[in-house]
Amino acid sequence: MRKILIVAQTEFEALVRSKAFIAGVLLMPVMMGLSVGLTRATRRVADDRDRTFAIIDHTGVVSAPLVALARMAGSAALPGDGRADGPAAARFIPVEVKADGRHPDDLRVELSERVRRGELFAFVEIPGTVLDPGGDARIQYHSDHPSYATLPTWLRATANGVIINERFRRAAVDRTLVTRLIKQAPVDSLGLFERDASGRVKPAEKVDDARAFGVPAAVLFLMFITIMTSGPALLNSVIEEKMSRISEVLMGSVTPFQLMFGKLLGSVSVSLLLSAIYVAGGLAAAHYWGGYASAVTVSLLAWFVLFLVMSILMFGSVFIAVGAACSDLKDSQGMMTPVMMLLMVPIFMWVPILKAPDGTMATVMSLVPTAAPFLMMLRISLAPGPPLWQIALSAVLMAMTTGVAIWAAARIFRTGILMQGKTASLGEMVRWVRAS
Amino acid sequence: MTQAILLRGVSKRFAGTTAVGDLTLAVPSGSIYGFIGPNGSGKTTTLRMIMRILLPDEGEIEVLGSRDAAAVRDRVSYLPEERGLYKKMTVRRLLRYYGRLKGGTLPELDRAIDSWMERMELRGLHDRRVETLSKGMSQKVQFIAAVVAKPSLLILDEPFSGLDPVNAQVLKDAVLDIRRGGATVVFSTHDMETAERMCDRIFMIFRGRKVLDGSLEAIQAEYGADTVRLRTAGGAAALAGMPDVQSVNDFGQQQEVRLTGDPQLFLAQLAARTAVYHFEVTRPSLQDIFVRIAKPATEPCEKS
Repeated sequence: MRKILIVAQTEFEALVRSKAFIAGVLLMPVMMGLSVGLTRATRRVADDRDRTFAIIDHTGVVSAPLVALARMAGSAALPGDGRADGPAAARFIPVEVKADGRHPDDLRVELSERVRRGELFAFVEIPGTVLDPGGDARIQYHSDHPSYATLPTWLRATANGVIINERFRRAAVDRTLVTRLIKQAPVDSLGLFERDASGRVKPAEKVDDARAFGVPAAVLFLMFITIMTSGPALLNSVIEEKMSRISEVLMGSVTPFQLMFGKLLGSVSVSLLLSAIYVAGGLAAAHYWGGYASAVTVSLLAWFVLFLVMSILMFGSVFIAVGAACSDLKDSQGMMTPVMMLLMVPIFMWVPILKAPDGTMATVMSLVPTAAPFLMMLRISLAPGPPLWQIALSAVLMAMTTGVAIWAAARIFRTGILMQGKTASLGEMVRWVRAS
Repeated sequence: MTQAILLRGVSKRFAGTTAVGDLTLAVPSGSIYGFIGPNGSGKTTTLRMIMRILLPDEGEIEVLGSRDAAAVRDRVSYLPEERGLYKKMTVRRLLRYYGRLKGGTLPELDRAIDSWMERMELRGLHDRRVETLSKGMSQKVQFIAAVVAKPSLLILDEPFSGLDPVNAQVLKDAVLDIRRGGATVVFSTHDMETAERMCDRIFMIFRGRKVLDGSLEAIQAEYGADTVRLRTAGGAAALAGMPDVQSVNDFGQQQEVRLTGDPQLFLAQLAARTAVYHFEVTRPSLQDIFVRIAKPATEPCEKS
């Protein structure tokens, strides 16, 4: 045990001093900062070009108000950029085109040519039947920039506003009255009532998205980042020892199991440190920005620590086994892919589980040992949380899997670290595990 | 005399090939024991089995009087042939790590580290990262890593290979000192002169079997006084066609001749052919014995 601790301590020091750890600590805040900063910085300059488009109006009544609205709103048509202080706000400039006796197809081809030449950004054809409430006419928008959605979006809203006004006018109905009549009653999403210490009923709090979804998302991704930081580091450390023939020197002093378990413990302690830094930083930020710190409970943290420790041991064993079986870093990339996919699967499932944390899929998946640290933690952090027996069952299943993973990895490690020059196949690894 | 290492009928096979077969060997405490043998003959496998890095398929191994590897692991140090160090660690942290794994305590280790660094002419390099050291320096650091926790048995696989003569001498002196301190030293080497000069006993393994084991004198006696070292006016050409000549090792100015007959008769015949400046009946060198045993088979038997 003493030797395991010496290995663990050395591994811990080496990892904490490594660039990967420092990157792991800084990665999330830096990435978040960058994405917020970039979004802010580019919002203004991303779309600053005026766009002229032609309108073929078969109704004869839509284009004029549309042109007026565009001119009036100016750049307000572009979301977020309509403010007067905007430095270079883009505008939509509609231009009505009359057929003037030309065949409609000739006109369409001619306008298409002008779009191709860059004189126009797009052209729109508004069918005459569009004012008929019973019809199913559609506005035709033509452009060679299929990915630019802002203009068609603006058109749908603005042109329909004009069209609906016209329909109301023709039906002689007061639109403002109708609007008042069909006004919807909104639904507030609230928590439950409770009595405080003095017996007064505390009003139910409004459900806060940050609290309802922010904490579960943070828990899930913290788990993911921590495993992703520590797993590959273990693999690298094993491969370094193997390639530089340190393993054989160490084998003169410790058993393979002592070495492997020391590495795992070192990795667990680094992961705990990394999460502690994130949790502390997160709580500080949550406290500063809105008092969300109360959303993080002691039991949530306790489960987090338990699942984190088990997943580092479980995935760490797999990474160690891969490292021991490979003869160089390049080979290990290929062998890591399936492990990485195993790690990614739960991440892809987090949105459906967020929506239905008590559903069958959520329940089953959160019991699967490789997904449990992510999905069970997600469910625990989503109020009201899964029944205790499910958490316990998933923890027990995961503990058993972890035990098997450590046992098998120890056997692969024992043989693998002294093998040189050749990467073991999966079949060989299985044989190493089964060898007595 | 107690035995530091005792092997009884030890065999090890890899995928059908016998790496070491039915090996029996006793290394007395306090001796320097040399392991020699061509590449791929089973030296490293034997050393690894002594270290219990490999387990024998058959036979028994006793180290420092114990069959339990864990019980004596801390008192046995091993420096493998292909050895590495953590590149990013400083020398001090590395030596502390290896020393602590052998059961050393920090204050004791720090004293030993300081004295060894001084001794190995590595003064002031304690806080350098290993990757910044020269090859010779890191080899010496590796040696210190093996001895810093004062082992009772020191096993070195090719300790002197790749060292310049100055550093090799520093290391040889250190090995002799460690023996003087009461430890047993086993090392493998390709350098027959080193083995001759340093070892109390020599063990040669060839194709997994023991072919030599004993003191240099005993081995030389066994292989007979049938080698003649001579310098003549005619050189190697003068020896052509002479009777009783089994083989000639030509060094240019000097020839080493192995005879099957009487050296005095050979001298008379040689003197009749050419002027003889130097004629010495010697015991065969270890190099000579080694080549005699290994030569017929080494070429086709490359290390795979």
